[in-house]
Amino acid sequence: MAEDQKKKLCRFWIWALSSVAFRLILISFPGNLNLSSRPEVSTPLTSIRRLAEGYWLKQASMSPYAGSMYHGSPLLLSILGPLTVQRIKGQPSHLLCSLVFVIADILSAMLLRGIGQKLQMAYGLNARLLGFLKSSRDKVILPCGDIAALVYLWNPFTIVSCVGLSTSPIENLAVILALCGAVTRRVPLAAFGLVIATHLSLYPATLTIPIIFLLGYGLDAPPIKLFLQTRSVEKEETSTSTVSKQAKLKQTTHLPFLWKTVAHFLFWVLLWSLYVLVLSALSLNKHGGLEEMFKRTYGFILSIEDLSPNIGVFWYFFAEVFDFFRNFFLIVFHVNILFMLLPLAIRLKHRPCFLAFIYLAISSILKSYPSVGDSALYLSLWALFVNELIDMKFSFFLFCGYLGISLLSPVMHNLWIWRGTGNANFYFGNAIGYACFQIVFVVESVSAMLNHDRALKRSNSNHREVKS
Amino acid sequence: MAAVKRENEEEVKTDDGSPKIKPRPIVRLGIFLIAHSPIFSVVFSAAGVLALLLLPLLAKNTYISENALMPGSARSMLSNQDVSDGSKLVKDIKNFRLNHEGQGVEVQKLIGTYMSEMGAEVSYQKFHPEGNQFHPLHFFSGPDSYTLLENVSCASYGVNVAGIIRAPRGDGKESIVLVTPYDFINGGDYESLSLGIVSSLFSLLSRVTWLSKDIIWLVADSRYGDYRPVAAWLTEYHSPSFKVSDLLKCNELNTADNFRRAGTVAAALVLKVDGRSDRFEDTLSIYAEASNGQMPNLDLINVVNYLAVHRQGFYVKVEKVVSLLSSSWLKFFGEIFEAVGKLGHTLNPDWNFGIPAADYLEGSATLASSLYSQALGIPTGPHGAFRDYQVDAITLKVSPRFPPDSKTRQHEFFLRGARLLEGTIRSVNNLLEKFHQSFFLYLLTSPSKFISVGVYMIAFALLVAPLPMVAASLYIDGCKALTNSTHNPAENFKSWKWLDAAKQVFALHLLGFIVTLLPYFICQLPGQHSPRNRSIMWGTTSSSLLLITFVTIPGCSPFSSRLHRNNWAVLKSVTIAAAFIGLCLMSIINFATAEIGALLLVPTCLMAQPIKPALRSRSIKSLLGALCSLVLVTIGFPVMFFAISKGLLGEGLVGLSLGGEFWTWLESLWAWKSATYLYIGMIHLPCWLLCLCILFHPS
Repeated sequence: MAEDQKKKLCRFWIWALSSVAFRLILISFPGNLNLSSRPEVSTPLTSIRRLAEGYWLKQASMSPYAGSMYHGSPLLLSILGPLTVQRIKGQPSHLLCSLVFVIADILSAMLLRGIGQKLQMAYGLNARLLGFLKSSRDKVILPCGDIAALVYLWNPFTIVSCVGLSTSPIENLAVILALCGAVTRRVPLAAFGLVIATHLSLYPATLTIPIIFLLGYGLDAPPIKLFLQTRSVEKEETSTSTVSKQAKLKQTTHLPFLWKTVAHFLFWVLLWSLYVLVLSALSLNKHGGLEEMFKRTYGFILSIEDLSPNIGVFWYFFAEVFDFFRNFFLIVFHVNILFMLLPLAIRLKHRPCFLAFIYLAISSILKSYPSVGDSALYLSLWALFVNELIDMKFSFFLFCGYLGISLLSPVMHNLWIWRGTGNANFYFGNAIGYACFQIVFVVESVSAMLNHDRALKRSNSNHREVKS
Repeated sequence: MAAVKRENEEEVKTDDGSPKIKPRPIVRLGIFLIAHSPIFSVVFSAAGVLALLLLPLLAKNTYISENALMPGSARSMLSNQDVSDGSKLVKDIKNFRLNHEGQGVEVQKLIGTYMSEMGAEVSYQKFHPEGNQFHPLHFFSGPDSYTLLENVSCASYGVNVAGIIRAPRGDGKESIVLVTPYDFINGGDYESLSLGIVSSLFSLLSRVTWLSKDIIWLVADSRYGDYRPVAAWLTEYHSPSFKVSDLLKCNELNTADNFRRAGTVAAALVLKVDGRSDRFEDTLSIYAEASNGQMPNLDLINVVNYLAVHRQGFYVKVEKVVSLLSSSWLKFFGEIFEAVGKLGHTLNPDWNFGIPAADYLEGSATLASSLYSQALGIPTGPHGAFRDYQVDAITLKVSPRFPPDSKTRQHEFFLRGARLLEGTIRSVNNLLEKFHQSFFLYLLTSPSKFISVGVYMIAFALLVAPLPMVAASLYIDGCKALTNSTHNPAENFKSWKWLDAAKQVFALHLLGFIVTLLPYFICQLPGQHSPRNRSIMWGTTSSSLLLITFVTIPGCSPFSSRLHRNNWAVLKSVTIAAAFIGLCLMSIINFATAEIGALLLVPTCLMAQPIKPALRSRSIKSLLGALCSLVLVTIGFPVMFFAISKGLLGEGLVGLSLGGEFWTWLESLWAWKSATYLYIGMIHLPCWLLCLCILFHPS
């Protein structure tokens, strides 16, 4: 058994290292691939060319946001900016940035692996508590951490956004950092990840809910009712006193919510945000300060000023919409995400990590400037739940759909922009198809998870009948 | 198809006791289709082929879509004086070439003098006849990947002459290009006639007042082929290189800082005169196919066709496959369609869908040629270079009905040719925007009949429709079989059984990708190799790579015993899904390639079945099926198909010794950056290999 495990570990490292090698090979010829100018890879928010421009403006002691070129965080500018201008002779430009992104990818994968190991342990523990592992000993628990890490490292979307010099690997790293902090109960780390992720791209702010659940209730587990049922069966066998049983049941019908940890977390969030704001204010001190930053980053995200094509569905709509309806539809489109937060939180509160995955997937569909980097993130988070989602329907269909759409996208873009024989509808049709597949994916994942819970319940009651 | 598959899987999953809800009608339709997929796939494929044969019937008459064009509404202003100017130029060139032998640029200078006498700005451009080189990654980059060669010799270079007439009413932001390819060293008498026509026109245009777009007359030096000089000129026009070329020092002719531009090009016409017409009238052939099956806007062809037929009395034709005209089976179809059309007409006089069998034959021969040249992806003339810059362009090849030395006829010929061009230019001159009104995606069945994308896509859609259906039904079958065969319930990953098959499919597609790139490395090898040797090298490396794949990836090989029983159904399902995605992608990039590829690949993929059980069962039906799939797989091999199609076209199989000819053909494909090459390497070949794997599957 141990030898087998060792072998598996060895295989994991081989694959992980080969993915890094693959990235390095791709980085060494960037001119030919020209990925950084693809609309699927780099959006106005994540493009490194815009970042370099912003850095140049800043060096010329102008506001980095002048001319509506750069829309990212001023902190990222201070970190990545110097790397964009440094060149090693004989090497392609932006080599250092690419290396930073590769490192970010590796870190993300390792953190994902950590999260996965925790989740796997929790899954095993819950299964044992519910008495499944005893009944069918040969049921294998898949090493979901390794799988998720490899899915992240070998996902073509991740590779493309890493090699294509978009800053999404760093945004993804921040998100995964937040989740990892919450899973391992390192409250300051979780708060730091959340604050940075929100600072970089706004949408991860929705993750506050799952992280609070994670810290308050603990890791993903089957619904609490199941444990109660199991326990009651055992009680029936052991004790005959009904009074004491009822008393105990009352005591544990709901899980304890750890208010103290959550308060601790909120405190840290406050602290980190203050810290980030102060740093940003210092860095933008001569160029309009924080107000300018909020207007040019969050304002830019929310008001969808840049209507250049991307794989989302907003650009086309807002290019067509009449000006006097614009504000109304802006509100409608953004509220779309907010509407889904609460129902999902209620339904999936026993599985906070899964909830985080769903939130990320939804925001990647309804984002104003989505890129394939966002899909890469939620796809690898999805792989964390392979044990639960093993019965997911339409996996093959979805796989073919994602593959077809991602191959079709450059073709449609070429037809529209370069050949001139197509038009914007071609590319937008592709974007709609992509959104549809993502929606099917999310819906199927959620229903597979709920089915998994139902199946647990059913087999649990069967189990009880057998016993009694 | 998506809904179909989903719902069917849902049906499969409802056997675990949950209450069964009556599915919606569309779901039931989907389940019905999948349950009877063998019948429906035969019906759909047959309908697809039939629809392809019906296309000449469904062709519509062309019409001018853009109102601003107004062809033929103005009277021609061309006078005899202009024509005699043109004749004089032709005569001068002829005399000059009789008196002067040599390589110089005197003829270009002569033409340049003429141009500037007419009031045009003249510029000369030197270019290097750089051969087309294969670089695998340039497939994915834009048109401006032309690199200036560092050390060019002065031994071989060409000189283009371009004259620009500035429009009195324009702002210099738009232009129309006229191209006359002319071989300055050994151009024939007919070739110089094109110079005469355009110079007559140029003489007129230099004094008209209605011009609002600048006119550029490019005399392309065609001694290294027609395409190259035009491409070089366009590159210089659109994306000039700022490095000083060595070519500039080559000759006394100084071309530095001399290049002139005139705004975006609205349209371009390439005029060629060749050979004597074998008909009573002068013949005008229109060539429109650019690289990768791209076509210019249909309006441009319409304008030329309208003016040529209704104003100047040319006999207009587009290319056709002549051998098809005498094919008996096509004639048979034509007669059937004619009979059906007549029958329809008697039933209801409003039904006029029938066309005579002779028209059908003509239409199909033209359609076949149109499909062939689009599928090849190689431009049919210098106009192809313009399409890379989104400029609509066509080549007009005029064949006069008189011998080149007849003076009186020549005058009339010039008059008509120049009037045709004048009318076209006047129409394009009226344009307010670039061509966008009419079709870009169409096939021609005659100069005045076309099939639009909405019609020809039906044939393709019907042809590939069986693929997702069969994939879904096989997937369900395969999953069921696997569930039954594995007794261990714990290993029963219901939804993920396709992963193993997907691995195999992916590995073979990766192999296809590598095989596609191999010629680049083979071309890099030092030393001269004949095409034959190169193709042998390619073949051996590819097959050894295939063997390595089979050995190293255990799931991949058709001969390994590790596979589950009945696994081939899932493998076939994934293969078919891959073929479907590939064909659909290709249909958007280049429809004609996808159509021809689908005709080959769809039956092969659908028929592929392991032979072993068929041999074991010894029933005639299964043996016949196995034989069919064997034959299809044999034909489906690209080299084999190439040989067969060569044989069908009447060329012997002798020249095909060991694939030398095949190599040359492929070389021409990648030299022109044809997507067909990528299709063969990255979609057709892997799918063919997978079919082979299924065929020899040990089940």
